[in-house]
Amino acid sequence: MTGDVLHYLLHAFNIVILTYFFLINSFYILFIILSLFGLFHHRELTRYVSFKEVFRLPLVKPISIIAPAHNEENTIVESVRALLSLEYPVFEVIVVNDGSSDRTLDRLVTSFELERSRWVFRKVVAHQPVKGIYKSRAYPKLVVVDKVNGKKADALNASLNISRYPLFCAVDSDSLLEKDALLKMVRPFLEDPEKTVAAGGIIRLANGCTVKGGQVVKVRLPRNMLARFQIIEYFRAFLGGRIGLGMLKSMLIVSGAFGLFRKDIALQCGGYRTGTIGEDMDLIVRMRRHLHNMKKPYEIRFIPDPICWTEAPETLKILSRQRNRWHRGLLDTLLYNKVMLFNPRYGVTGLFAMPFYFVFEMLGPFIELLGYVIFVFCIVLGLLNHWFAVLFFLVAVVLGTLLSLLSLLLGEYSTERYPRLKDVMILTLYSLFENILYRQWLTFVRVIAFLDFYKGKEDWGAMHKKGFAQAG
Amino acid sequence: MSPSLILALYGLLFLIIFSLCLLGFIIIRRLVLTRREAFFSRLYRQIEKDILEAISRLDPDFSLKVAGRYRGYPQVLTQALLNFGDIIIGEGRDQLRIIFNHSVKERCLKHLTSRRTAKRLQSVRLVIIFFDPAESGFLFRLLDDKPIIKLAVINALSRLPSPETLGHIFTAFERDTGFTVQAYFNVMFSLGGRIELLVKESLKKTLPVDKLGLLVELIGAIPLRNLSEEVLALAEHPDKEIRIRVARALGRLLVPETAETLIRLASDEAWEVKAQAVKSLGKMKNLQALDLLTKSLFSPFWYVRHNAGYGLAEMGEAGLRRLKQVAGQEEDKYARDMSEMVLNDLIFPSEAA
Repeated sequence: MTGDVLHYLLHAFNIVILTYFFLINSFYILFIILSLFGLFHHRELTRYVSFKEVFRLPLVKPISIIAPAHNEENTIVESVRALLSLEYPVFEVIVVNDGSSDRTLDRLVTSFELERSRWVFRKVVAHQPVKGIYKSRAYPKLVVVDKVNGKKADALNASLNISRYPLFCAVDSDSLLEKDALLKMVRPFLEDPEKTVAAGGIIRLANGCTVKGGQVVKVRLPRNMLARFQIIEYFRAFLGGRIGLGMLKSMLIVSGAFGLFRKDIALQCGGYRTGTIGEDMDLIVRMRRHLHNMKKPYEIRFIPDPICWTEAPETLKILSRQRNRWHRGLLDTLLYNKVMLFNPRYGVTGLFAMPFYFVFEMLGPFIELLGYVIFVFCIVLGLLNHWFAVLFFLVAVVLGTLLSLLSLLLGEYSTERYPRLKDVMILTLYSLFENILYRQWLTFVRVIAFLDFYKGKEDWGAMHKKGFAQAG
Repeated sequence: MSPSLILALYGLLFLIIFSLCLLGFIIIRRLVLTRREAFFSRLYRQIEKDILEAISRLDPDFSLKVAGRYRGYPQVLTQALLNFGDIIIGEGRDQLRIIFNHSVKERCLKHLTSRRTAKRLQSVRLVIIFFDPAESGFLFRLLDDKPIIKLAVINALSRLPSPETLGHIFTAFERDTGFTVQAYFNVMFSLGGRIELLVKESLKKTLPVDKLGLLVELIGAIPLRNLSEEVLALAEHPDKEIRIRVARALGRLLVPETAETLIRLASDEAWEVKAQAVKSLGKMKNLQALDLLTKSLFSPFWYVRHNAGYGLAEMGEAGLRRLKQVAGQEEDKYARDMSEMVLNDLIFPSEAA
């Protein structure tokens, strides 16, 4: 009798796992197909557009670039120089030194000839006290804010209060924006200034690439295996995922490393939520919630060609910290906004985007891990045909590789592809091996994140980066 | 073998074959593109050399020869004509026009009706560069096309500012709906004073608020000082957005007679209108508004205080004296801080918005 029940339960669970497997892969394939159409459409529309023309437009909106920095004395000066050299008609750069314990502020003061200023700002959203605001006669675009540590969201809130322009671009101070990234990113805000509330660009990994004067000058693959796996992941996430989700009006994340937002809407939502570590996703979800509540039509766009280069972790320890934090951020945002789940009042966000992220992104690692465990269990107990088990495993690996290959194909149609055919071959090989061990390890990391979240862990975890490879 | 095993096996086979085909496609596409790019750039360099020679020789016969030589490579020639057409004007452009007329023109006119947006867009750009008034009919027909094509056509028409084309632009503006309305601003702005009468006529019509606001903004941006009366007439408009734009436009027109209206707008019920009016009064450097701006420094609204502070700074010596007075008082710390910031900012200049 017990054996029958166990057998029945295992059978039922196998059906759940197979359905989950079928659904998640179908969604990913759908997103990639949509992305392919989206990329073609975008290419067609921008092929004959000179982004420099934005300089001649009288109605172009000025942008405040806000970059929080915490203990970044090694990279901060170069990053700020790169931000100051961006091409855009009118912008300011607000760097927030968020209670660094190293020489971040000193380096900024010395390098940019900063002097303390009597800046008066409007405190619309709360944040930790500001110790001083610094300006420079030599770099009038630059404002440096020194404040008590309050984590990233708090630093972003301080910059929101201090910024003067109607659009703000949140960037990580250790990332590199392409010179014309703002010109490309602002396009939807020019086309439809009323409805467009946020836009995200693409994040690419600069590991292995050569950087000169704050710009990536040579695109190459890194030697590090982990970084190579992450390149495939980023391709899948940004080119395969976000373009497709954007076309379905279901994009819930605009990366914190590079996103452009309307300040008035962000302030109406209360700015960044300081209690969360996934502040980028949280802001977008709350913006959607707010605009739906207000019954205001809006657009959140993903633009596939403005590129922000960032450095990927190259050790398991740091990568696991990063993914743990991302997953805790996702959990926090989804649970904080759970009222939107399956709620028709929130349109496609409530009926598709939130459930998708809830089932496949949030619970996904659990279901996947449980699947592995039951799979092994069934084989050991002889409840599963060994040949079927091997075949199913192979199907999963090849399907995963196929999805990665499709993302590489999308990469071929995007800007700044890897120029050497050898690189494509290497990435193909890695997309095959990604499904063996690396994927399972990530699932495990995300399950641990789940447990950490319930234990109330809130720290970011130190992210040691080695810096970009400089051209001679 | 069980059916599920057979299914899994076929599934695996299909996926492997599909993946291999995809990989093959990526590799072949890469190889083909690399070869094509190499051919394209070699040919482009040749065309570039010949076009430069045609431009320097200014010999129509030579230009005709160039057209004949590259007629068989329309894609590369089109790209070269687009690139050169954007930067070459005068007699050089005439030589380019000869090359265009005798090589890719027919193809270009055919592509104006192509189903592919990119082809239509490319052709519109070429027609814009090498426009022949006899072909304007082709362009007018495209005013009913997709927004991006329509805007390209309107852009083209704005380069030929005859009364007929300007009329078409304004008719399209009045009829158009949706997000493209904003784009008209840029096209109309580039036309400058030529559109004064048409703006005046449009303002007489019943337009939705977004279009009306756009015209008011346009009057200020160009600026069309003769239309200040029309702008003043909108100062009492029930929509706050229009009143904000009126205040902004008056600050750009800088017609002294409009100061009274601005002073009235500085007491508007909406703080956004107040803030804009105070800013414009500062730009106008109207000393009659000195007291009003000083009083506005004590406003409960941050933006009003901010604009009043910078407005006073714009007024020169008299404004600076007022700022120093307010910075020295202790009763209102917000007004004091704002004045101090403005005075401080005169030492650290910011980027102007």
